[in-house]
Amino acid sequence: MRHDFIDKYGHLDSPVHRLDPRMKIVTAFTGIVVIVTEPLSADPAHFLLYLALVTAVVSVTRLPVTYLVRRLLLVSPFILMAALFYPLSVFISRKEFFAANQEAILTAGAAILMKSLLAVLLLVLLSSTERFHRLLMALRRLRVPAIITTVSALLYRYIFIIADEALKSSRARDSRTPGKLRTGRIGVIGNQVAVIFLRSWERSRIVYQSMLSRGFSGEFPDMVDMHLRTADIVFPLLFIALLIAVRLII
Amino acid sequence: MPAGIITENLSFSYSPGRRVLKSVSLEIHPGEKFGIIGPSGSGKSTLLLHLNGILRGEEGSVSIGGITVNSKNLPDIRRLVGLVFQNPDDQLFNPTVEEDIAFGPLNFGLSPEDARSRVSEALAMMNLTGFEKLTPHHLSMGERKRVALATVLSMNPEVLAFDEPFSNLDPSMVMQLMEILRGMESTQVIVSQSVLPVIALCSRTAILKDGKIVAVDEPRTLVRSRDLMESCGLDMSLYRNYCRDL
Repeated sequence: MRHDFIDKYGHLDSPVHRLDPRMKIVTAFTGIVVIVTEPLSADPAHFLLYLALVTAVVSVTRLPVTYLVRRLLLVSPFILMAALFYPLSVFISRKEFFAANQEAILTAGAAILMKSLLAVLLLVLLSSTERFHRLLMALRRLRVPAIITTVSALLYRYIFIIADEALKSSRARDSRTPGKLRTGRIGVIGNQVAVIFLRSWERSRIVYQSMLSRGFSGEFPDMVDMHLRTADIVFPLLFIALLIAVRLII
Repeated sequence: MPAGIITENLSFSYSPGRRVLKSVSLEIHPGEKFGIIGPSGSGKSTLLLHLNGILRGEEGSVSIGGITVNSKNLPDIRRLVGLVFQNPDDQLFNPTVEEDIAFGPLNFGLSPEDARSRVSEALAMMNLTGFEKLTPHHLSMGERKRVALATVLSMNPEVLAFDEPFSNLDPSMVMQLMEILRGMESTQVIVSQSVLPVIALCSRTAILKDGKIVAVDEPRTLVRSRDLMESCGLDMSLYRNYCRDL
């Protein structure tokens, strides 16, 4: 079965895709730290400059804009909730203070919105310009504990198993469902979810047995080639330097 | 000389009181192609998992090339015995064919360079050269079956254990796989419900029924024992009638 909700664009060829995954991880996380440590009272122009820098990187990745927008929309409810929560909490608990400092509080809400948006955008950029297994290997080389990368690798494998089982189960249901499922029969979906999890568990067990039979001892072997080139150092450093310049100088 | 296999009074149950294997004793000679046939639920796949130490019997023993399987020598046993699962999707879990085939050799301590050369050799044996960077789940069933076999061949095992290798394959793929297996010198244990390929390939075959070995003989001799085959749910009359009509 074919699923491409992970690694859909990881195989593209662009200057960003070609960068060493370790440097991409370091750059993305440094960028996130620089952006989220902006004070809430920061000039909104700062966030627009960050957005311009990130957009400039996006423009060389050849990633479809619709794909990025869809990914952002997926997390937008959480981002909006975070952005609205701060002004709303001040409004509810300290009405007089809110009335007196309305502009500053709304600016802080907008800052939270932009910080979250930019952080998610950087993560989407990271995960879309590199194949997942290479990111895991890069994390290993960056000395992230093996337990985290191994669990992530197993999760990556088992997500496809669950997706496979869900697809098979839905096809079986649809093949015996003329038209749409009637509202009174909606409980069928609950049963289906239970069966999908049971079957996924069973298949996961067999996959694990097959791993054991080939000598798996709790850690995935690493055969990914990673060599730092000049571009791998120059481009990320330039990007981080520009972010820090916006943060400290402008 | 590849390793032989001896199981002595092997018994196993998944849950208390429900034995799946009951005192199974078998001797498979080094280099022999040995079939195990039997109806669904007879314990064939469970027996296969014991050869690689994935499952360990409650009673009895399994020895591979003179080494008795126990928790201390599992790495050695898994180096000796390559297990090919029924469904290749259960066996292929890496993002590329190359990484999947290199998984075993790397786990056994080979360097990435040596593992890559094992990958090339295994792919060449399966006529899959050039498939290194492809994603396993984008391949056809026949190709995935061959990649699954390559993942095991790359470990250079002395014993190959196959669980239903001929299921979900079209007749030409069955023939192709049989030719590949015929050309290998390793000891082979083939668990299958497809009796015909086992007859054509194996020098001896055991019939497993309700967790017990009920017969071990040359496959042609077993197939001629109609009563035995029928009593084990392996009735061949359908094939016979078709062959007669043809």
